[in-house]
Amino acid sequence: MVPGAPAEPIEGRQGHYAGAVSRLVAFAADVGASWGLFTLGAAALAFSIQLVSGTKFSLASYQVVSVVSLVVWEFLYFAYQWALSGKTIGMAVLGIRVVRTDGSTIGPRQAVVRTLALPLSFLLLGLGFLGILTSRNRHALHDRIAGTAVVYSWDARAARLRWLARQDPAAPA
Amino acid sequence: MSPVPGSGRMEQLAQVVAERVVSLVMEAIDIDALLDRIDVDALISRVDVDSVVSRVDVDKLIDRVDVEKIIQRVDVEKIVERVDIDALMEKTELGSIIARSTTGVASEVLDVIRAQGVGLDDFCARWVNRLLRRRPEELPLGPPTLVAAPSHPELTAGAA
Repeated sequence: MVPGAPAEPIEGRQGHYAGAVSRLVAFAADVGASWGLFTLGAAALAFSIQLVSGTKFSLASYQVVSVVSLVVWEFLYFAYQWALSGKTIGMAVLGIRVVRTDGSTIGPRQAVVRTLALPLSFLLLGLGFLGILTSRNRHALHDRIAGTAVVYSWDARAARLRWLARQDPAAPA
Repeated sequence: MSPVPGSGRMEQLAQVVAERVVSLVMEAIDIDALLDRIDVDALISRVDVDSVVSRVDVDKLIDRVDVEKIIQRVDVEKIVERVDIDALMEKTELGSIIARSTTGVASEVLDVIRAQGVGLDDFCARWVNRLLRRRPEELPLGPPTLVAAPSHPELTAGAA
């Protein structure tokens, strides 16, 4: 931000294409959340097996199984949440959601295709994500493949109303 | 000595007889049955409470009360011991007050994070547009249906 410059109004962004930073932070939050949940699940599984059989068990000892489990888990994490509500935990926190290119609600098919296409954006040295910055519609590679777009679902006006409602009426404006 | 001879004995006799008679009468009377026959409600209804109260000088009554003495006689610690603090806390709905306040703080933090994100999005978009020599007003703002109707009900419901 330029010091002294007027504050950029953020009202009325609902439904606009979401920017790169919000999407990146949301994705990072999702990676953290999904890994955290996976680790918790693996620990719970190991504990249960140890409790029943009496032998020490660690998923890390079975590399192939753990990698396959992680891949399946990540697929379920993203595909299920996108199909259900168009947003993951990280996206909900950042106030963004996935929609079809025309703006309608995403279906299970798009959710699955988008999840499967997501690794492609990584495999091309991350160039698949460059489209978020450069393309007119802020489409990443997986967005183009799945026919989706990411928009702001956060209503800054509602946030301002919430903020005003929390102000002390006796306090000077 | 009594002025009339023999009157002292007569008095004693009369006293004994009277005591015996009273005791016999009292035994014979069924007090409960007597009370049952009294219509207490009717009796109370005949009492003009307002006039009774109006005749009472409350100030005078209060003046006669030694409040300090009453306070000294009250065992406050014993009263506090008898108070069920947990039940009191439940009645004051302190939990819901804390929850409401926590929700308020959480949503405020969320708003700040999102606003920061949007600000940084704009910053990046401005620089990229400058590098690519694009005019921002020529770029589409969002999917046609959402930008045409900014207050999309579905998205409003999704907004936290």
